[in-house]
Amino acid sequence: MEEREIQDRDLMSRVAHRDGAAFARLFEVHAPVTLGLLQRILGARGEAEEVLQEVFLQIWMQADRYDGARSTPRGWILMLARSRALDRLRRRESSRRREEIVGEESGEAVSPLGTERLESLEVKRQVSSALGALSPDQRRCIELAFFEGLTHTQIAERLAAPLGTVKSRILLGMNKLRQALSARL
Amino acid sequence: MSTPHTPRIEELLPAYALGALDGDDLRELEAHLAAGCEECRRQLALWQGDLEALAAGVEPVAPSDVTRARVLRLAGGTDRAPAAPPRRTPWWMTAAAAVLLALALWGLLGQERMEREVRGLEAERDRLSRQVNGLEQQVGLARDEARRAQQALQVLAAPGVQSVLLAGLGPSPGAKGRTYVNPSTRDALFYAFDLPSLPADKTYELWFIAAGKPVAAGTFEVDPRGTGTVRVERVTDARQIQAWAVTIEPRGGVPQPTGAMVLKG
Repeated sequence: MEEREIQDRDLMSRVAHRDGAAFARLFEVHAPVTLGLLQRILGARGEAEEVLQEVFLQIWMQADRYDGARSTPRGWILMLARSRALDRLRRRESSRRREEIVGEESGEAVSPLGTERLESLEVKRQVSSALGALSPDQRRCIELAFFEGLTHTQIAERLAAPLGTVKSRILLGMNKLRQALSARL
Repeated sequence: MSTPHTPRIEELLPAYALGALDGDDLRELEAHLAAGCEECRRQLALWQGDLEALAAGVEPVAPSDVTRARVLRLAGGTDRAPAAPPRRTPWWMTAAAAVLLALALWGLLGQERMEREVRGLEAERDRLSRQVNGLEQQVGLARDEARRAQQALQVLAAPGVQSVLLAGLGPSPGAKGRTYVNPSTRDALFYAFDLPSLPADKTYELWFIAAGKPVAAGTFEVDPRGTGTVRVERVTDARQIQAWAVTIEPRGGVPQPTGAMVLKG
């Protein structure tokens, strides 16, 4: 277990006991990546900040429900955020495309703390590198599933591709991603 | 009966972790997981770990000061929100504020309504209380009146009632008086007519004279028509009463007559 993860688990435990300082620290450490994920999914900066507040409210209220055996604290937070953002995305009735909004409203892509910034930038570099191992089609399918919450069938419709092709792209892409990540992380 | 753990089942896991599984694939895997396949759980956790890395690989974005302040305030942090208003208020804050405002307004309105109602009920209670008091007084007066009439009737209608007429003297020559004595009970009634009203520190006092001595029989006031009355219980045997008289005495009466005599008979 990495040192960061040990610290995160300690923070989660303290937050579950209503430790405000630990909660503040957890926010400082994880809010930038969480907000980055939310903005990646939702596009609009303002909406992403709204969901970020919801996510951390949920963390503060439900930290005692975190199960350390099932995920890391970062994984739990990011999956909470993703789930909420995808719900929001599904409810959104706008025809605006995410790609259009990102260009207009993306905020400062800067993490406030030096070490966390370096670390998150390093993760970003590694993931980018791992994603680089995927074919563009594999990567596109995985991104549509992960960042837009689309299912096999929906991706096939979106890309006008056969369902079986989409399934195999995702399967192959995920396997390549794992290999690339385990080689670099 | 769940499906056995097969390579095909394992191949569904990454798409399931992504949330991309649907249709028959999804139903098949969920049935298998529901049966408690530990190997699938273990592999699923690994895929989720990969996705965590994918999620964490996004470009980090610094939250705004407003968001930071709001979030940290949740946990009693000391960060203060900057003066600039947020781009949007989070729905949960808006909703919570709306609910609180509605509750507060409802509470205030409800309280005001209750207070108004209580004030109205108190006023009604006071009004009814006054009315009841007034009616009780009237009933009391009527009872007194009836009792007096009954007592008077007992005297006036008694067999052998003895009556004495009193004539006006001195300052009230036109005044008159009359006594009635029930010989069996020795209760007496006295009525005065056409006597003038007296100053507040004075009163009329009735006497009967028996064995040469005046005996105080009660004081009375007169109404605007000059009429007054005294009921006397247990007077001396009427046959021994030599005379009746009324004098003007200090208020409250005296045991022996001191003032001017206005009626005698």
